Amino acid sequence: MMATDPELLERALAGQEQAFAELYRRRQGGVYRFALQMTGSVVVAEDVTQETFLTLLTRGSKYDAARGTVSAFLYGIARNLLLRRLERDPGTELEDFAGAEDVLEDLTRRESIELVRRAVLSLPGPFREVVVLCDLQDCSYEEAAAALDCPLGTVRSRLNRGRSMLARKLRGVTSKVVRSIV
Amino acid sequence: MKSEEDLLRALADHDRELEAGAEVETRVLFEFRRRRKRRSLALTGWFLCAAAALIAGFFIERGRIVPPVEQIVEQVQSPVVAAPEPSVVAAVPVHKVQRARPAAPREIVTEFFPLTDVAIPFERGELLRVTLPASAMRSVGLPVNEDRLNERVQADVLVGEEGRARAIRFVRFDQ
Repeated sequence: MMATDPELLERALAGQEQAFAELYRRRQGGVYRFALQMTGSVVVAEDVTQETFLTLLTRGSKYDAARGTVSAFLYGIARNLLLRRLERDPGTELEDFAGAEDVLEDLTRRESIELVRRAVLSLPGPFREVVVLCDLQDCSYEEAAAALDCPLGTVRSRLNRGRSMLARKLRGVTSKVVRSIV
Repeated sequence: MKSEEDLLRALADHDRELEAGAEVETRVLFEFRRRRKRRSLALTGWFLCAAAALIAGFFIERGRIVPPVEQIVEQVQSPVVAAPEPSVVAAVPVHKVQRARPAAPREIVTEFFPLTDVAIPFERGELLRVTLPASAMRSVGLPVNEDRLNERVQADVLVGEEGRARAIRFVRFDQ
């Protein structure tokens, strides 16, 4: 039977490399994508993924299954690392997305996706993280609330607001473009 | 807005297979091994320090022990000084020798945590009681409050007959 995440975490903290490696392989993708979608930088995303799992080794004993999944705990660590990085180096955050309508004339599928990525990246941090977690990472509201250490209602309201902002930013995207990338 | 949802879905689908590079896994696992080794060395160091302290304490304490009455009597009765009534016997504080000790507090122990990477067959060994900083408990994954990391805790170290520390358990005294 496959070990659960909390079991793997417990064994990893006791020094079992196999358990740690399995937990890493199981959860690194989500952490990496979260960091990538939050920053738009592959280098930063890889750094944050690495640091998240190393932080898990030192802070893992603080994990409380009653407060959320291991996955949410990892997102929480990754988010703190990202915030610290953005504080240290504000330039990491991309500038506001603008002038989309001009660029949208001859979009290839890939360009369209990058356009949406940039729109997400241009959202203010608190709204971006809920959009990334709930809309791109398929986290439940509960998981997102655990990861962001905030009430469920806050997640809902930030998500609504974030989606509205995103809709405004993507207003120029025509149905043709939508068809080309969906 | 349907199109906006579709766009987000498209981005999510596009990124679904993205993962950190293999070199990240290599670095993470390398660091895991390095930390585990460092932890093992630290535990061994603590164990050696504690063992040295115990041995030193034993010898210091031994130097302070009042010899039993019989020994003193024997020494005095030896023919060095032919005194009929050795006054030393009277000077021996008998009440100290016979002093009743308070009842020992009840011990509560954790399970044993392995200190070796692989399970080496265990045939014979010794259990040694040592004193360690509470931070040692963290190194085996037990939770410790930040403000109590420097407190001393007692532990039992299981040492194999080849002299390697095999496992450790922590002890708490219930008064």
